[in-house]
This record gives sequence, structure tokens and C-alpha cells, in this order.
Amino acid sequence: MRLNGVLIEETFAEAFPMLGTRLIVTADSPAWVQAAAVSMTGFATSVIGCGCEAAVERLLPPEETPDGRPGAAVLLFSVSREELAKQVVRRVGQCVMTSPGSACYAGLRDGPPIPLGNSLRYFGDGWQIAKRIGGRRYWRIPVMDGEFLCEATTAVVEGVGGGNFIILAADRHAALVAAQAAVMAIREVPGAILPFPGGVVRSGSKIGSKYKGLIASTNTAFCPTLRPAVHSLVPEGVGSILELVIDAVNPQAITAAMRAGIAATAGLGAAAGVVAVTAGNYGGKLGRHQFHLHEVMA
Amino acid sequence: MTGHILTVREPAGPPIDLTGVLPGRLAGDGAGVTVICGRERHPLDALFDIRDGGPSGSLILRPEGAVLDAVGAGMAEGEILVEGDCGDQAGRAMRGGTLIVEGRCGAHAAAAMQGGRLMVAGDAGDFLGAPLPGGTKGMGGGTVTVGGSAGDRVGERMRRGLVTIQGNVGALCCARMIAGTVVVGGGCGPEPAAAMRRGTFLLCRAPDPPPTGFVDGGENDWLFLELLRRELRVHGSWPAGFPVAGTRARRLIGDRSAGGRGELLILSEA
Repeated sequence: MRLNGVLIEETFAEAFPMLGTRLIVTADSPAWVQAAAVSMTGFATSVIGCGCEAAVERLLPPEETPDGRPGAAVLLFSVSREELAKQVVRRVGQCVMTSPGSACYAGLRDGPPIPLGNSLRYFGDGWQIAKRIGGRRYWRIPVMDGEFLCEATTAVVEGVGGGNFIILAADRHAALVAAQAAVMAIREVPGAILPFPGGVVRSGSKIGSKYKGLIASTNTAFCPTLRPAVHSLVPEGVGSILELVIDAVNPQAITAAMRAGIAATAGLGAAAGVVAVTAGNYGGKLGRHQFHLHEVMA
Repeated sequence: MTGHILTVREPAGPPIDLTGVLPGRLAGDGAGVTVICGRERHPLDALFDIRDGGPSGSLILRPEGAVLDAVGAGMAEGEILVEGDCGDQAGRAMRGGTLIVEGRCGAHAAAAMQGGRLMVAGDAGDFLGAPLPGGTKGMGGGTVTVGGSAGDRVGERMRRGLVTIQGNVGALCCARMIAGTVVVGGGCGPEPAAAMRRGTFLLCRAPDPPPTGFVDGGENDWLFLELLRRELRVHGSWPAGFPVAGTRARRLIGDRSAGGRGELLILSEA
């Protein structure tokens, strides 16, 4: 398949079930929302090294938040409910509760609950107050600038982690421009996040290493600089490759995000130096979900 | 499948205790259901004209001036509409569903209520949301809305839930309260929140004289008030005299003489 002169390879992205939740963070101003949300989603690129994968799903105008202030929807994913619960409490406790004027609410209703304010309330040292409003329970925790309002629990859904596609371009500039176009498009898709810096991965990995103790190492097959020396998947004329990794609350959101991202990339065309789009997989042996590029773009 | 409409046959009689008369419990003509009137138990259809009508799972009561006690007592689901006044213990130990009273209700409404919604268009009597007579546990959940004023001891020993009163309340509102929220649009009588342990008493006018045993925590912004305002506005029960915006309120903490950590929040104008 070719789109605007860009080859869309006949392959698939292999993805895995993950457990996720959505939190709504609000504050007095968009700047303080950003401060809390960025801090909370920091060092959350990969479950392998960070415990969870997280990013801002989208910024929310005041009319879309529970308390009528500016906010952000944040998605967090992890491999188990226990690990997700641990990460949520740590990150909200250390990054949101500490941020001036912040509040934190559950962004999902349906699904088994994990503690949010129910764990953080103990910070109130006995002065915390529970309030049930509209069938939902909140904790009011006294803090130095007033009160931190936090919903008692948040719901967990079975999401998908590791949706991806790989951009093969003539040079680093072309690859980055294409990746940024894809990121912009994917950020418009509800329910999907790009957990890596700026939404882009430049150090894609393969399973295993020549060194003992390393479970992953650089994806030599996609390193243009190693093309003559290894079993390479880098075509002639490709000088730089970037990957986009997508987590989402359901497979449909992954599909929508991949479609939007690939369309934006291919929309730049071969003339912009975009050579091909492919995807990362393990031969279909490891992941429950497969997203075939041709089906996604059909 | 429809609901039922019960119209009192002899309004001049003694109070009728409607314990056990609930939506969904009446089959056909209500045969087999008995109620207490005065000192005797009577078949329901001897005291009421029973007809099919209203939505499925609903019960419409037409007191025609009679005193109906314990309307909706123990109700878990469905809806009861009272086209007039209620007697005592309306919504007693209610667990779910909706009870709508178009007129007034007597004492002990929502006593020991656990869930559901009680909406009273007019005034409510004493002990609203308080324990049952002889009991020690007040309202433990649910929502109560009163369009008029209420009597003494509203929310006494209340443990959970939300009570909203558009008008005034009498003495000892929120006395010995353990948790929950009481919102009063008008003024309150003597000794508000006496021996309060926890919970929130929200009002717009500072009690005069100030309650003893409370310390003044000053003014601050309370974000949960915005959530509360939005919720009450959905049901049209945010008191008319309250600010339409802003979360600023003065907070009194107490009753410290009882070791309490409850709060009186006195709203500030936005």
C-alpha cells in the first residue's frame, strides 16, 4: 500500500493488555494544571523501568471539569492493578497534592476501583473530612494553602499498551517532522496517549542482549548506522527512523490513533523525505492484540 | 403494569400508620395488606380507595386531609408521591427510592434514613434526619430536601447523607452530629451544632449568638462547595439566598468542648 508515495508495509503492531485509569487534575490556572500534570506524568515512559506509562490525554476547559476550573485528563497504565494503584497514589501524592491549588478527580466511572483519596487521606492526620456529593465520595485534606480535594477512588479499565508504528525517513530532520505531525494528530484522539518524550521514541528496543542481565537492547535491525553490519531492516535511502508508541483505554482508540498518526505522516508525502511506515512486533507470539497497518488504513 | 393511587375514604379518622405500604408491595387491589389506624388494624382497602394509576413502581397517596404516618417507611425502591401533607416519620429508615411530599411533613421525617431521596415541598417538623425515638443513630445516608423551614434538632446524631433546607431551622440543629452535611438557607435557632463531633453545617447567616465551643478558623476557599452547589442546583435545592458563585466561607471548628472536629461554614458573598 502506498499513501502519497509513502510505502505502508504489510505488517502489524503487536500490543499487550494493560490496566489503566484516567484522572482529572484541576488547578486555579492552566499553568498550574500543566505544572501538576507534567510532574505527575514525569518518568513514566515504559512500565519496564518506570512502573507505569502515563501522559496528559488532553487539556480540559473549565466547563468540562468537575469544579469549573482549568484541568487536564491524564491516563496512566500499568501491568497489574496493584502496581497501578501504587503508582497512582505515589504520583498524585507527590506531584498533584503538592502543587498549589490542585484537586484530583476520577476520570472513569465503570470498572473496579483502586484507592485515590482513600489512601492519601491519612496525610490529613485526622483532620481530613469525607464528603459524599452526587453519589461520589471525596476527601478534603487540609494543606498549607487551604484544602486538597481528592476523589476517594478511581476506576480501572483493561486498556492496551504498546500500539506502535515506525517512521522510516531519508534523514533525521524528515523523520522528526513526520513524527511531530503524527504526534499532533494522535493527541486529538480521545482515550490514547503517547508516553514517551514529546510522544516519540528514538531508541526502539529488541528483546535480549549480548550482555547478561539486560532484557532489552537497541533495535539493531532498525539502526541505520548498522545497516551494512547486521541483519538490517533499513531500506536503501533511509537515514533516520523514529517510533511512536501508543497506549489507550481500548483497542478502538489504538486503531484510531494509529490511523490518525500514519495519515498525518503519509500526508507529508515522499517529497518530504518520508520513505515508509512499518510497525514493531514479535512475530505475533507475545501480544494479544495485533494492529495490521493495511487494515488500520483501509 | 401501572402503579397505584390510594385515596383516603374517611379523612376525619385518627392517624393511619402506613408502615409496609410501599411501591411494588401492592398486588392488584391491595388484598391482604393491613394498616394500623388508631388502635386497630384494618384492611388497606377499608381505609383507602385503591386504583391503578401512575407509572409502574409508583404509589400516589391522596390524604384528603387525613394524617398519614410512616409514609415510605423502610422503602428501598420505587417512588411515592403524597398529594398533600404527611404525618410523622415520613421516610423513616428509608433505604432507596424517592418520596415526594407536596405539602408538609411532621416530626421524625427521614429518621434513621439510610438511602434514597426525600423531597418535601413545605415545612418539616422536629427531628428531621435524627434518630428514631429511643434510638442513637441519626440519618446514615440519602438526601433530604425541604422547601420550607424545619423544626428543632435537625440532623441530630446524623452520620452520613445530605439535608438541605431552604428556610429556617429551630434549636440544636446538627447537635451531636457525627458526619454528613446539613445546608440551611435561612437562620438557625439556639445552640446550633452543640456537641458536634464531625460533619458540615453550611449556612449563609452566622448564628447569633455564636455557638460556644467553636473556634474561628477564618475565611478560606473550599472547593468542595462548588461541587455541592452544582449537585444541588441539578435538583433545584441550592438555597435561594446563597451566592451563585464562589467557594469562600468562614469556618468555625468544633464543638471543641466535646473534642469535636466538625465545621460550621458560613458562606461569603462572591
